[in-house]
Parts: sequence; C-alpha cells; structure tokens
Amino acid sequence: MRGLLKAFAITGVALTLGLSSASAQDSLGDVSLLAPAGAGGGWDAAARSLQQVLTSEKLVSSAQVLNVPGAGGTVGLAQFVSSAGNDPRQLFVAGITLVGAIISNGAPVDLTQVTPIARLTGDPLAIVVPASSDIQTVDDLLAKIKENVGGTIWAGGSAGGADHMLAAMITQAAGADPAAVNYVAYSGGGEALAAMLGNQVTAGISGYGEWQAQIESGDLRALAISYPEPIEGIDAQPLKAQGVDVELVNWRALFAGKDITPEQKAAIDAAIEKVVTSDAWKEILAARGWSDYYMSGDEFASYLTEETERVRGVLTSLGLAK
Amino acid sequence: MSTSTKIANKPALVVGIALILVAILTAYDASTMNIRSGYGVGPNATSYLVAGILAILGFSHLPVALKRMDGDVPSADWKAVGLVGLALASLIICIAMGGGFVLGSALLFAFTARAFGRTRFIADFAIGVVIGFLIFLLFNKLLSLSLPVGPLERLF
Amino acid sequence: MEVFSLLIDGFSGALTPMNLLFAAIGVFLGTAVGVLPGIGPALTVALLLPITFRMDPAGSLIMFAGIYYGGMYGGSTTAILLNTPGEAASVVTAVEGNQMARQGRGGPALATAAIGSFVAALVATIGLAFLSPYMVKVAVRFGPWDYFGLMLIAFVTVSATFGASPLRGLTSLAVGLWLGLIGIDQLTGQARLTYGVPQLLDGIEVTTLAVGIFALGECLFVASRNLIAPEKPIPVKGSVWMSREDWKRSWKPWLRGTAIGFPIGALPAGGAEVPTFLSYNIERKLATKPEEFGHGAIEGVAGPEAANNASAAGTLIPLLTLGLPTSATAAVMLAGFQQYNIQPGPLLFAQHADLVWALIASLFIANVMLLVLNLPLVGLWVKLLAIPLPWLYAGILVFATMGTIAANPSVVELLLLVGFGLLGFLMRRYDYPIAPAIVGLILGPLAELALRRSLQISQGDPMILFQHWSSATMIGIAVIALIVPYLFKGLSRMGADED
Repeated sequence: MRGLLKAFAITGVALTLGLSSASAQDSLGDVSLLAPAGAGGGWDAAARSLQQVLTSEKLVSSAQVLNVPGAGGTVGLAQFVSSAGNDPRQLFVAGITLVGAIISNGAPVDLTQVTPIARLTGDPLAIVVPASSDIQTVDDLLAKIKENVGGTIWAGGSAGGADHMLAAMITQAAGADPAAVNYVAYSGGGEALAAMLGNQVTAGISGYGEWQAQIESGDLRALAISYPEPIEGIDAQPLKAQGVDVELVNWRALFAGKDITPEQKAAIDAAIEKVVTSDAWKEILAARGWSDYYMSGDEFASYLTEETERVRGVLTSLGLAK
Repeated sequence: MSTSTKIANKPALVVGIALILVAILTAYDASTMNIRSGYGVGPNATSYLVAGILAILGFSHLPVALKRMDGDVPSADWKAVGLVGLALASLIICIAMGGGFVLGSALLFAFTARAFGRTRFIADFAIGVVIGFLIFLLFNKLLSLSLPVGPLERLF
Repeated sequence: MEVFSLLIDGFSGALTPMNLLFAAIGVFLGTAVGVLPGIGPALTVALLLPITFRMDPAGSLIMFAGIYYGGMYGGSTTAILLNTPGEAASVVTAVEGNQMARQGRGGPALATAAIGSFVAALVATIGLAFLSPYMVKVAVRFGPWDYFGLMLIAFVTVSATFGASPLRGLTSLAVGLWLGLIGIDQLTGQARLTYGVPQLLDGIEVTTLAVGIFALGECLFVASRNLIAPEKPIPVKGSVWMSREDWKRSWKPWLRGTAIGFPIGALPAGGAEVPTFLSYNIERKLATKPEEFGHGAIEGVAGPEAANNASAAGTLIPLLTLGLPTSATAAVMLAGFQQYNIQPGPLLFAQHADLVWALIASLFIANVMLLVLNLPLVGLWVKLLAIPLPWLYAGILVFATMGTIAANPSVVELLLLVGFGLLGFLMRRYDYPIAPAIVGLILGPLAELALRRSLQISQGDPMILFQHWSSATMIGIAVIALIVPYLFKGLSRMGADED
C-alpha cells in the first residue's frame, strides 16, 4: 500500500514538471479560462477548445479551464467580476444566453463590468416542424400563429433562452402578442427533439447542429434558420430572406477583467487573432459544427451593447425581464 | 404507562411545528410570485400543493406529540458531533478564505478522526495533507479539473 | 442474420490485445473514480473523456465504453459498504446493501451487485444491438402525459422505503418534494424559494442531497454513538462469496431488474433512478421473505443494481439512434462522439455502421472486463471496513466533500451539503427514513414538469391525461396500487401505526 502511494506521488510530480515547463516567451503566461457552466456544455466546450488552441499555438505557457456553473452563467460572472479586476491572465467565456440570464434573473453583475475581447463563434437556430406536419413554409407557420397563437405549441430549450426569444420574435412578426406564445421549455435540444418526433408539438427551435441529423434524414422539416445570411451546406434559408424581419445568432465570446490596461488588452487581442486564424481553430470549428463569427475591438463592444438592448426588449415582451 | 396529557414526545412536536412553519413560508412565497398569463397551471400551483401536504403532515404530528414515544431516542455524544461540525466548518472556512483544498481537507480529516477518539492530531493532520495532495494532483493535473488553490497548492 | 455478421465484424475490430488493455484501463478508471461519493457517472465520464482522445478511434471508443460501464457500476460499492451512495441511482442499493454489510454479508452484497450489473448490461446490450430501431419508435411516442402516469406509479411504490411508520415516511418524502420546489421553474423561468441567492436558482442537486444526507449524516450519527455504544461493522462473516441460496434468491431479481431498467432507460426522460425504485418495490412484493426487507434482503440489492445498469444501456438507444442525450451522462457521451466526428442520429447506423458495431462490441467486452476486474476486488473492498473507524470516516468526509467541491466549487454548495448532513443526522436520530427524501427530490420536479407540460399542450384541459390509453392505463395502475392495500387493512392504519 505504501509503495503504491509513493508511486502515485512520484507520477504526480513527474507530470507536474512535464506540464509546467512550456516556454513562456511572448505569451500571455499562465492563463485561466472561466466557463460559467458545468463540464460538458457549450461554453465549457468553447473554453476547452480555446485552451487547446492557445496551448498548441504556444500563445500561453499554460491554460486551465475553471467551471463555475449556476443560474444561466450569472454565478460564474459574479465570481469572475470579483476575482479578475486588473489581472490580464483571467479570461471569461460566455454568450447570448448569459445576456438573457443577467436580465431575467435580475443579476447584480452584468457585462459592463468586464472588458469584451472578441466574439468567436455564432450558430444559427433552426425553426422546424415534424415531417408529417401540414405546415410547409414559414408563411404557413405565420398563418397558423395568427389564426391560433395558443394552439401553436413550440418546443425548445430553457425558458428565457435564445430558443424562447426566437419563438417570441416570430410570434410578434406574425402579428400576435409575443407574451401569448405557448412555449414548452425542455431541458435541452434533446428532449425537445423527442417531443417533435412524437408529434406532440407544432414547431420546434434549437441550434441547427443539434437537429441536423434529423433534418437531413427527413424526420424533421427545417422551415428556416435564424442567421442573417444563407449558410453553405444548409438548405433552409434565413428568415430574413423569406420576408420575416427576424434574426438571432447564438454567439459565444471572450471577455477579460474590467481594469486591464490598453497594452494588456492589445496583447490578448493579438493572441486571439492568432487563434481564430490558426488551422487548429478551424479544425475544431469544423469538428464541432460551429460557425466562425469573429468580431473584435470597438465593433464588438458596440455590438454587445445593441444585443443587450435587443434581448432586453424581447424578454420584456415575454414578461421575463426584471 | 404515562396517562397524562403532557407533551410526551417533544421531537414530534418540534417536527410538527417546523413543518407548519415551512408550509406557511412556501405558501407565502407562492403568493408573492408574479404570474404572467400562461397556459396550463403556473409554478405557484405546485408550491401551494406542497405547502398543503406539509401542513397536513405538520398537524398530523401534533397528536403524536401527546402520545408516549415508542422506544427511546438514543443518547448522543455531543462533543463528537461538535467536533465533526468543527471539521466541516474548518473546511468551508478554509475554502472561503482561499486557504486551498489541501489544507481544508487535512483539517477536515484531522478533526473528524479526533471526533472518533483519535488523540494524535498532528499525525492525522499529516495523513490528511498527503491524501489531499494526492487528490489534488489527480484532479488538477491528470483530469484538468480545478480544485480550489491556496498557498500549499501553489508550491506545485 | 445481418445483425450477427455486423456484430462479428465489430468484435474482430475490437478484440486485439491492445484494445483489451484499453478496455481494462477504462473499466478500472471508471470504477475507481465512480466509487468516490459525490462523483456520479456523468462527472466520471466528463473527467475521463479527455484521456481517451489521445488514442486512435477504436482504442478510445473501447476505453470510453469501459469508463461508462465502470462509472455506472462504481457507485454501488460505497453505497453497500459505507451507506454513502455516490449518486442517486445507488440510493436504493444502500437501503438493503448496507444492512447486509453491517451483518458481515458485504461480500455477497457486492457480488450480487457486480454479477447483477453484468447480467443486466449483457442482456441490455443484446437488446441494444437487436431492438434499437423498434424501441426508439415507441420511446418518442411517450408524451408528457405518459411520463406523468409513470411518475405516479413510481410515487406509489415509494412507500416501500417508508419503514414502520407511514407518517414519518411521508414527512421525509414531503421534505424532498419541498426541496424540489427551490430554484427556477423550468417552464416559466420564475424563481421559487430562492431568496435572492443566485446559487439556489438552479435548484438543489440530487447528488448534494444524497451525499449530504447519507454520507455526512451517517458520519455524524456514527460519531454521536461511537464512544458511548461502539458498533463496529463486522467486516466478513461467513463466506465473502455468494452462497447457493444467495444465487437462488438473486437470479430472478437480476432479470426482473433488467426488464424494468432497460425500457425505462430507453425513454427520453426515463433516467436511472425511477427503475431502481420500481425494481425495489417489485422485489419486496414478490419476496418469499418480505420481513427481511429493511434488514438486508439480497433481492433488494440484486434487482435495483440490475435495473440501474440495464438503464445505462437503454440510455444508449435514444443517444445512438436519435442523437438524443437523455441523461447528464449521455450528454457528456454525445460530446465524446462528436470528438470522433461521429454524429449520433438516424443516419449513424447507415453512415458509420462499423463504428457503431465496434462500440456495441466494446460494450460487451467492457462488461466482461468489469466482472473480471470487480469480482476479485470484492475481497479487497470488504477490507475497507477493516480500516480503523476514525480514519475510515475521516476519509469518507474528505472524499464526499471533494466530490461537491470538484463538481461545483462554491461555498453555498458546501453549506447546503453540511446542512443536509445535519438533516440526515437528525432524521437518523429520530428514526425518519432517509431514502424517501431523495425520491421526493427526484420524482417531484419530474412529475410536476410532466403534468404542467401536458396541461400546457392541452391549453389547460386535464382530460388530456385520460385521452391517451397509455397514460390512462398507468394512472389506473397507480390508483389501484395505492387503494388496494388500504381496502384490506382499513383506512385507520396510518394513525394506529404511530403507537
């Protein structure tokens, strides 16, 4: 037993030495990436992908991912705001769902208390109906909403999330009261998918990637995607191209502490620009089915402000804003 | 044996009152929710249902409190319970104050062992440090899941 | 048959010495991490997944299968020996298993759990290979109304864990239901009983409650008695192995547990816990010696453990055929598949037939490996109880709190854990059963969501529950199961039992 313990200890030490001996030149140093969600989710995947590329491109001497799950990401954000401050080695990964959660939970912290670095990925949402549904086009769906908003039953992810917002926006575009949307929330795209395949609901919304296999096999019919432009490889056309003035992109982005200096921000910006142009990053995007949605600097900062107001507007119409 | 109507079963009385209080709390919480127009029943309906169940169970405890208890409540070594409480408290304080996982675990280990009658605190603390370090290395280095870091962990 | 030749192809790819080694490593790691209280299969797989990425697809897939089955199995060991289930699906196992361990029969309890898991996983994996396309068609037809019916049946069966007093059992159940209210309502986003604490918005983790109320509660209770009236568990009395009678009493529960666990596991929201409750209740009803239940009946370990592992294989059906992750573990597995560029879904069997069958073959191999590895370990595990009590319980607390810290490093979560530990201590002290509280926390929110989703889809019409023959049948079964015992015994039982 004692021998075993010793062996464990030695292995541990050896591994430690091996891991911490990377070169530190021209890098951001020992970086920590906080994902405000549990291991296995979308933000965690984004943070771990970023960790992988930052390390493999030698942009950092080491990177570790911290998972702080809770309340749509607001628990993690609160922890990040209090710990990051002017430390340029702490980074934060989050997305549009966090923007919504801050508003609907009435969180004491928000994204003005961090420095936006860059928007990284953006995925389209798909609006689908079961294959056997008599709804063939977006116009059919809008007509159905107009005729009976309560009888148009939507399935999608959690209440107040991007799926719910899109359902409300489409309901409003159809000329009905967005607060009257009959949206059945499921814990994720998976359970909602079962409700779709079992013909229990009228229409469903989820990330396109989550339902791609069913759309391609013909079990579900994609009426539209929520992206502003058509996407190569996806037959379904954007809502905008079909005359419905609605767009919503499920984006993920990187943030840093509020009080970092302009030089430190420039260094992080440069590193992230190297990440998004690297082959390793492109391979990950392809493997995960993510779309590149890179935007940085002031452009991203003002995008974030606009997006926050837009999300607030939708959530208010749903009665979810505090 | 006892035929008096005195409260013979104090724990049952305490549980009964506690259940009723929680029921009131829950019903109050449900009454303060602002329910938007929706379809089906709202989240407050479940709260009222559970509050009702708790209240019924609370009141069902009251007649029991008047009866004699079936069997004695076992006596307890409160010092030992207190020591385990102290062990857990020192872990939480250690994590909260940034003392790190290893130190917290070692204190937890040593105080708990003491609660079970060990007297060699320093030796137990040392064992706790070793166990804590092994876990820390396994998680942070091999599984890349971050346990809280304090001064001890920074040595690695 | 085509399936056979595909399966044989799968085996020929998987059965290389290197791959067998990977299977052994996967099973070992899965069991070792899964054994820690507070670290359930989902976290186990999530933590160990990155290790498999460093290998070729076939090798990593087989290791992955080993981790999955190993993690599912690992939870039962501490439940039996130390009364500290590592996850909710092992709670029922702790009820009878720990009683057996206290009587020196920890060996047979672990053995029946291991062999039961093996039998269940074997049968269920065969089911996975042959029945997937049919079962999945039934599974997606299961609407919220059907889930509500299933939950009602599960609720009725909970009374099996109540012990002597229905009042105390119901109180424990109600505590669980109440804890289930806390947090954001999934359907409307409304917060219930959170009092502005953001960490409470996601609700109470079942694992936190289970570990707190069992592991910490047990530790506090034993501490309170240890120096006054020491009760040292007997490590081994009689054989470490199962006797002829143990075998005779175990094999039917294994098969029945499998028959319950596999189909419910295949349901999109079936989970692993509900079948363990149902299996326990059925074994209790069918037992030749029902009086042994609550005092270490081997059927009460054999059935639920088989149900738990069969549901693990069942979970793979919607995952592979629909790309539908139906449990936290399955969601992590889905991420794992995507790393190998496998997109589970309706096209998977057509596009990546070789990989699917390699996976199914890997599951068979991992399952055999699990048995080979764990049966000899039974003797070693039982020796855990020979560790001096102070170190044993100190160690349990370190591992139990570590699970919480690793899963969610927040002080609020730790405070909850300790609070539940105190609750568990008081419930033990004043003789309230522990398991119903956990059952309430699991079933309450599921039943609520099922009912409210049904009513949302019907726009408020409760008749929707009876318009589908399947849900109407299940609700009928639940009502009959609830009423019939009382018709025989008289309605005044509830009060009389308190005397």
